[in-house]
Amino acid sequence: MSGYLRYLGGRLVIFVVTVFISITVVFVIPRLVPGDPLGAISIKLSQVGGNLGSRALIDEYMHRFGLDKSVPEQYLAYLGQLAQGDLGYSISNFPTRVQDMLASALPWTIGLLTVTTLLSWLLGSLIGALSGWSGGRSRPLQVLVPVALVLYTTPYYILAIILVFLLAYLWPIFPLSGAYTVGLRPDLSPGFILDVLRHGILPALSIILVSLGWWFLSMRSLIITLKGEDYMLWAEAEGLPPPKIFWAYAFRNALLPQVTGLALSLGNIVAGALITETIFGYPGIGFLVYTAIKGLDFPVIQGCILLVILSVATANLLLDLAYPLIDPRIRFGAAGR
Amino acid sequence: MAAVSVTELVAPPTEEPRTVVSTLMENRNFLIGAAIFLALVVIALVGGLLLGPGPLRSGALKPKLAPGFDVALWLGSTTLGQSVFAQILQAIPGSCLVGLLAALIGTSVGALIGLASGYFGGKVDAVLRVLVDVFLSVPSLLFLILIASLLRGVGVPLLAIIIGLFAWAWPARAVRSQVLTLKERPFVSVAQLSGMSGLEIVWNELLPLLLPWLGANFVNAFIAAVLAESGLSILGLGPQRDMTLGMMIYWSLNYSAVLQNLWWWWLPPVLLLIIFFMALYLIHIGLDEVSNPRLRQSG
Repeated sequence: MSGYLRYLGGRLVIFVVTVFISITVVFVIPRLVPGDPLGAISIKLSQVGGNLGSRALIDEYMHRFGLDKSVPEQYLAYLGQLAQGDLGYSISNFPTRVQDMLASALPWTIGLLTVTTLLSWLLGSLIGALSGWSGGRSRPLQVLVPVALVLYTTPYYILAIILVFLLAYLWPIFPLSGAYTVGLRPDLSPGFILDVLRHGILPALSIILVSLGWWFLSMRSLIITLKGEDYMLWAEAEGLPPPKIFWAYAFRNALLPQVTGLALSLGNIVAGALITETIFGYPGIGFLVYTAIKGLDFPVIQGCILLVILSVATANLLLDLAYPLIDPRIRFGAAGR
Repeated sequence: MAAVSVTELVAPPTEEPRTVVSTLMENRNFLIGAAIFLALVVIALVGGLLLGPGPLRSGALKPKLAPGFDVALWLGSTTLGQSVFAQILQAIPGSCLVGLLAALIGTSVGALIGLASGYFGGKVDAVLRVLVDVFLSVPSLLFLILIASLLRGVGVPLLAIIIGLFAWAWPARAVRSQVLTLKERPFVSVAQLSGMSGLEIVWNELLPLLLPWLGANFVNAFIAAVLAESGLSILGLGPQRDMTLGMMIYWSLNYSAVLQNLWWWWLPPVLLLIIFFMALYLIHIGLDEVSNPRLRQSG
């Protein structure tokens, strides 16, 4: 047990260092850029404020963002605000706070990505296992291999563009963009839910198809490797029925690495499809980053980045902590990692 | 064990360079990938020279022309009257330059850090390992977005350098673990006993053994860099004044080419990116099979 505790301590240190370095980098980088530390802000402000009291507005902003203080003081204030979950104000939508914008975007991203990740994992693993198991005997399953290769090497957003063209423009059965019809009030009525599903299908499809390729290929090669193991031969010699060998011996054993992969990609959910969301105008974190970039809304960009980094680091930590419990083969010797 | 002679034990386990190259030349995946990749690059470079920069200017052609027989019109024209074919000829070398520079920086920095960390161990290793862990547990695209959104209007070289500076963590970790196993081998002790300095051992004895693996990693980093560049470009953070495949997609989306049915504008860069990634991936599989003999038998 002391081995696990030491391992746990090591992972915690890495987590804290990661978060601290990321937070610091997010603070430092904008101040390294030549010119005004938050030059983007004043450019934006002069556009918004025009000449109507813009000087006073800029002073007010400089004060609000603490830019009239020294850099170490700014850094401490920044850390203090972060500790309270305060990410400051958006510039484009001034009175709105960044954390509120993140909070309204996050459910869309998490919803889309959780559903697509689970679905593609399930489908990919199943078809991949069947394809690996049947070897050369089933033609349709063999044809899937190059298809999966092409899908796997295609970036999400490239497929997204093609899908928009095919299924929203050429044959318009799905809406072009958004997560629900403009004007509808978000509630839990069946009509709204159906609308959300209809809008979600294209973005979901582009993510599912691409990640399906990966799960298919990895499951297939796992099963092919397992087929050569001695215990499989033994099971066959015992005269067990093939379906039983497939499910209980091959599939079951190939599941562990696949589950690890699934956990890893669930950890990346928030960062998962930033650009896909942009293409579909899907109102998640990715689209928020995109609009913030267009509007030079630096606090929002910063907030999104902090959010994603924190969630990925936390997910990695949880995975690291849970992994030894999932995989009993991991032992904590003196050498550690 | 007794059958192994001393000379066999202390000789570095190098494969003759000639055999590595000839195995590579017999590898179908590598050959197909390399052929497609080289063909694209050569066509783009030669075609770009022949066509000249004229058709790239906006207003060089009538806007939104469908593909025609004139060379500049092979892929039609954009909303601004630029030749799409001429843009493609520019975009392929542009994207390659990003991949090449970024992969070069990422792989060499990673190899150096991994070698130092693995060979010298101790405090250097401890610090570098934490740094690698930190970089690996953070999605680098996010930091790229942060930097690129501040440095608006970066050119291809600067963007490539920035992407490369975020691509060293994987090679560093992998090289470190390889060095850890290699340095326990007898040939390293022999080199130490014969008076070679640490740097000489790293450079003359360890590095050559890692080259095939570094090659495969280089291709991987190349793919990742082109991917990062096109992603950043689509977000509006790409090299606005240069042409890459990602920037072509950005401009075409910006002028909503998909919805105006200007397929000759948005489709070529999209298809080319897919072909590009396929070719690079095949090269990567090939290199992997050659540098990792266990994969060779199954393939």
